[in-house]
Amino acid sequence: MKDDLDVLVPLITLVGPPNSGKTTLFNLLSGKNYKTVNYPGSTVEYYTSRILSNYNIKAELVDSPGIVSLVPESLDEKIAVDSLYSHPKLGVPDLIITTIDSCQLSRHLLLPKQLISSGFNVIIVLTMTDVLAKKGLRVSENILSQALNCDVVSINGRSKQGIENLIHVINSHLELIKVTDTKKISPYNSLDNRKDLIDTFKEIEEIVNEVYEPVKVDEINLKVANKELKILEDSTNYNGFTLDEITLKIDRVLLHRFWGFLVFLLVMGLTFTSIFWIAQPLMDLVDQLFTNLNTLVVENFEPGWFTFLVSDGIISGTGSVLVFVPQILILFLILGLLEDSGYLARGAMLIDKPLSKIGLNGRSFVPMLSGFACAIPAMIAARTIPNRKERLFTIFIIPLMSCSARLPVYALLIAYLIPRDKPWLGGILLGGIYLFSIVSSIVVAWIINKFSKRIFSAEGSSSFILELPSYRVPKISAVINHTYNSSKEYILRAGPMILGFSLVLWFLTFFPNINPQVETEGLTVEQIQNVERAERLEHSFAADLGKIIQPFMSPIGMDWRIGVALISAFAAREVFVSSLALTFKVTSEDEEEQSTLLNSLRNAKIETTGEKLFTVATSIGLIVFFIFALQCLSTVAVSRKETGGWKIPILQVVIFTSLAYLMTFITVNGLRFFGIQ
Amino acid sequence: MRTAAELNYREKGIISEIDSSHPSSKRIMEHGFTPGQTIELICKSTFNDPIAISIRGALIAIRKSEADCIKLK
Repeated sequence: MKDDLDVLVPLITLVGPPNSGKTTLFNLLSGKNYKTVNYPGSTVEYYTSRILSNYNIKAELVDSPGIVSLVPESLDEKIAVDSLYSHPKLGVPDLIITTIDSCQLSRHLLLPKQLISSGFNVIIVLTMTDVLAKKGLRVSENILSQALNCDVVSINGRSKQGIENLIHVINSHLELIKVTDTKKISPYNSLDNRKDLIDTFKEIEEIVNEVYEPVKVDEINLKVANKELKILEDSTNYNGFTLDEITLKIDRVLLHRFWGFLVFLLVMGLTFTSIFWIAQPLMDLVDQLFTNLNTLVVENFEPGWFTFLVSDGIISGTGSVLVFVPQILILFLILGLLEDSGYLARGAMLIDKPLSKIGLNGRSFVPMLSGFACAIPAMIAARTIPNRKERLFTIFIIPLMSCSARLPVYALLIAYLIPRDKPWLGGILLGGIYLFSIVSSIVVAWIINKFSKRIFSAEGSSSFILELPSYRVPKISAVINHTYNSSKEYILRAGPMILGFSLVLWFLTFFPNINPQVETEGLTVEQIQNVERAERLEHSFAADLGKIIQPFMSPIGMDWRIGVALISAFAAREVFVSSLALTFKVTSEDEEEQSTLLNSLRNAKIETTGEKLFTVATSIGLIVFFIFALQCLSTVAVSRKETGGWKIPILQVVIFTSLAYLMTFITVNGLRFFGIQ
Repeated sequence: MRTAAELNYREKGIISEIDSSHPSSKRIMEHGFTPGQTIELICKSTFNDPIAISIRGALIAIRKSEADCIKLK
């Protein structure tokens, strides 16, 4: 990166423990609101930016993943620390700014001490000074600066107080630095790290006992002066070793042994349902928009392969990417609020025990929950799991979470199954499907865990040590920015792939029979087009493929036409419904589509035997197939990228798709055995 | 010798040593669990595991199997 830029621009890296206000500072200095995510593993990513121009500093600012210490233990930590010493693209930082929570000096000073020992040029930034001031205390910058022999600046992230001072200090450092100089940095590596840790912490304790001093009364807002003074009385020996009182009170309920889990289930239940209920109208809107756009193109241009490439290929493909954006927005918004408030870490703690029973980790929970919206952001979210095996296992299991793309398929098949006068049955059935999907993914995870050593070939002891941050009111602007960036990341990552596969499938379903001959008598223009589409599909490459897999479809009571729809569903699962409509020559549009499709399905017969194709047994079988099958090529591509190889994605496709087939076979034939056709 | 995993609800203890044979021992120490520090068990998860321990003014959730290597005086 540095190569592309001006080589002479100094490199400033922000380093700090998790929850130390590092990202807030990055946002303040960069002027652009980015939010960092801890990215352990082969996919360590950094946000970089030039320092905001009105600060008049010409330097490249890099935000690094939060680390506790400079001594790496896992492979993932090693990558993060190594890149700090000499990033392959960015080089060695000319200056390191390390953020330290001023209420937690006794823990957070470890990192700056290690950084200084390594020979880095360090500025310490004290954050959360407002929280400390409420306790009637402040940190003496002078004493700390002398004790550590480096510059110390206090800032208040909310009021931006102290930023000017920081800029001044950065400037005075940069004046002394020549970017071209070679830096004498020695990787922090002590022979006896344990003894060293104990000694370092002893030194820190000595410093901490000196640096806290009471805030002068005139500095305190008079309105709260009385309150502050009361605290002052009993905090004369403060060394940052007391917990936040409000947090303790809230945790008495939220981490209560009984109520805690109930609240957790409630919060997660609400999150889960809102992914669907709030997003649904927005998703319909996006869907409608692209359907209209499609119709617009078809109506206004000469019918030909190019028009269809634009309408069915590009527009529908883009639509199938964007239709999930509302869901992802809402998911990230809620998760962002929960994370920023401090609850998400507690959720991970509450669910750790049950998940560890099947070889997962408390930190697997959020990625798995995200999987119910879409597997792609879910797999990316798994990066926060430090243990490599658990991270790969989480990614492995995510496709079993019933993602929202399967919902239209379930909806259609449920509508087919239930009697018209009992619509409430559909809700129960859908609930049952999700329950079945959750239970079966637990069972599958349990079985796969037995073979985990062979599949993931990653060692490392399972660990769950997680700081539970103090509760605070979430910063809405930061959450919205994070939501925006995550959604953008989803579109940029998944978009090109989904679009690409949509185009390939469009090709397979469109060629070679470009101009089909159909009976046009007595039909409207729209109907003719639909009949033509159906005719085209019937003699397409996709149909040929479908006929090849006919032998596989017969044992589960289906024929090649469902096979074609299943193949099309590889672009995105919801395409299944529209391809089914095409294969069964449904000629009417929009609102009537589903009811007409239902009628066509009721009348459909297996060509060779003349038996009814869509029986209760085969419909339930199809639902079961969709619960297990991994038939989303975008997921496969993201899985390859996140796991750094083809092994896991290929295993996922083979295992989940054969499992789907097996379960469908058992379901269909089992139901038939009991006399249900 | 008792360990942090055996603390009762809201019970305090002083760390005597960290069992170095445990693979997580370094990570535990980096979070501030060092000999001489006072810790307190703040709460337990529904399934009794992990537990939340206060150390140096922070609340750390930790599995019992890992808290077991924090030996108390």
